[in-house]
Amino acid sequence: MGTSYIYKRDASRLFIALRENGKRFKIYIPKESQPVIDGIEQDIDFVEQEDFHYAFDWNGKRFHCELVSRDQNKAVVKVNGVEYKFSLESLFSYIRRGMINSDSNKLNENNIVAPMPGKIVDIFLAEGDLVNEGEPILSLEAMKMQNEISANCNGIIRKIRVQSGQSVMKDELLVEISSIDE
Amino acid sequence: MKKRLLIANRSEIAIRIIRAAHKLGMLAVVFQSDKEPDALYLNYADEIIPARDSGNEKPIFLDADLIVKLALEHNIDLVHPGYGFLSENPDFAQLCVDNGINFIGPSPQLIRDMGLKTVAKSMAITCGLPLVPGSDGAINDADEAKAFADKIGYPVILKASAGGGGRGMRIVEKADTMERNFKSASDEALAAFSNGDMFIEKYLQNPKHLEFQIMGDKHGNVVHLGERECSLQRKHQKIVEEAPSASVTPEMRKEMGEMAVRFAKAIGYYSAGTIEYIMDEDGSYYFMEMNTRIQVEHPVTEMVTGVDLVDWQIRVALGEELTLKQEDIKISGWAIECRVNCEDPQNRFSPQTGFIDKIHFPKKDFIRIETGVHSGSVVTPYFDSMIAKIIVKGDNRADVIEKTLAALYDFSMIGLKTTVPFCRTVMQHPDFVDASYTTRWVDSVFTPEMLENEEEEMIGALAATIMYASEYLQLSSDLPTYKNDSLSVWVLNKRLNY
Repeated sequence: MGTSYIYKRDASRLFIALRENGKRFKIYIPKESQPVIDGIEQDIDFVEQEDFHYAFDWNGKRFHCELVSRDQNKAVVKVNGVEYKFSLESLFSYIRRGMINSDSNKLNENNIVAPMPGKIVDIFLAEGDLVNEGEPILSLEAMKMQNEISANCNGIIRKIRVQSGQSVMKDELLVEISSIDE
Repeated sequence: MKKRLLIANRSEIAIRIIRAAHKLGMLAVVFQSDKEPDALYLNYADEIIPARDSGNEKPIFLDADLIVKLALEHNIDLVHPGYGFLSENPDFAQLCVDNGINFIGPSPQLIRDMGLKTVAKSMAITCGLPLVPGSDGAINDADEAKAFADKIGYPVILKASAGGGGRGMRIVEKADTMERNFKSASDEALAAFSNGDMFIEKYLQNPKHLEFQIMGDKHGNVVHLGERECSLQRKHQKIVEEAPSASVTPEMRKEMGEMAVRFAKAIGYYSAGTIEYIMDEDGSYYFMEMNTRIQVEHPVTEMVTGVDLVDWQIRVALGEELTLKQEDIKISGWAIECRVNCEDPQNRFSPQTGFIDKIHFPKKDFIRIETGVHSGSVVTPYFDSMIAKIIVKGDNRADVIEKTLAALYDFSMIGLKTTVPFCRTVMQHPDFVDASYTTRWVDSVFTPEMLENEEEEMIGALAATIMYASEYLQLSSDLPTYKNDSLSVWVLNKRLNY
């Protein structure tokens, strides 16, 4: 069954499916393993695949999915005979749209600042990487101690403002994250 | 020489009757309508008569003169009308009789009498059956209707004397709206049945629909085979039926059943028939009408009694005496029938037509499937939306509900939407589980959102995402394969060119 999952780095494989009723699914499709839906790796088996028709087995049940219609990024899918309508976004289009309609969409820009003065020892991630809340982004050395600075939300690393070896002041901006949280 | 039985019907009931004919060693003959030339039932028949009805106003199944003409040309001995179409048309039955063809059903006169609700009711009164308070006969105008409604109290219901299927029917809540409703119902009845006669009766707010199956022979023997509950309806048409009913106690079963038998005997009824009752919330029940045909939902009765009703219909028509004795008829277990209609339960049950790409039915010892279609069939706008019935038997009510739900999950159809998701919702709803549901359930409780569930929603999101991602990623060389190497999701990439 599902375990909490650390996103792999490839942001191009994360998608957002938005239902008309406002419900949102974050779906990560890795290269080799099971899909990760809202952070949980799901043990979903593909049992049938034809044009516009998939069947999955999950939780001991069979799910027949049929593509009913498709218009740009909107899709209507029939699951076991019941239709569900989604609009689909890649992470990038989602964030872009979020920036355009920042009023209607609660997409937050999260800034991570240095909690104390020190020196950047190591940076674990790069711009454009996906990051989970609590995941270390960089290491800051202060008073001979190495402190891991972690992400404060789930999202994508938009900008890294520092370099390895650089000294920073307290409250200096280190990293900007575009959050994909609610 | 083998007897030749013609089926003046189509779809699943044609196949059902073919089975019964074969059981009795008869040849089954069917019509091939131009409106449905590749229908599944044709595969099961011994002989097919081309109807050449493409240029006709009505399909062969509604054309009494043409049916009889073709029957005579093909030396037909018996005609089984099935349900719907001409099954309760006394003129058709009479035409068969007049031409020396054995009509499988009661006498034409009884079909006529039972078809006129006012006549049926006066016969019921004679036999001491309880009736919903209402007008004894047809009422002439809105003023008369108003006067009557004042006497029995609102709400009242206006019904067409010759009506059925919900047409020519209006519920009137108060005196102000009587005139308007009377006119529109009467006009509707006139258009549908060429008879604008209306009658009026007290309207029960939350009734249950119960019906007793009876079987009689031409020697005066009649038995009843217990009741069915058919309260689950949309647009006044049944969609889920069960036998027996949780609302009928053994004492009531005996009383209502004996009443049905008494009525059938008094009117000299033979063949299969159904006495319909309506039951109020306080358990009081009233005679509604008698159906003089085999019914769509007859299999639930067959499942719990072990009696082959269509077989007996044919044998009775041949003059055989019933060997069934009332005391031998035992109800064992519980059965539910779910109708598979090509309708969209998410959109007010609007009909769906087109191709059935793929259809899969559950297979179990305790499941009976009656279907008129298979993968590749076409659902046309010319005929009824019902394509199949899933009938399940269990040890008791809880057991059969559980088994039915599993069976419905094992059903799948690609191409068109069906009532199956609706039936799944019903099986899981507390009102059905505790058997408190009434004929108003669909209108007053059901909402399309009840068809959805979170698991299906999530899987739907995944499926939609995979379809979208396969284009977005454009990585056909870089295929994630999810365990099974032969199933590459991303191949679709190439095909989804909108």
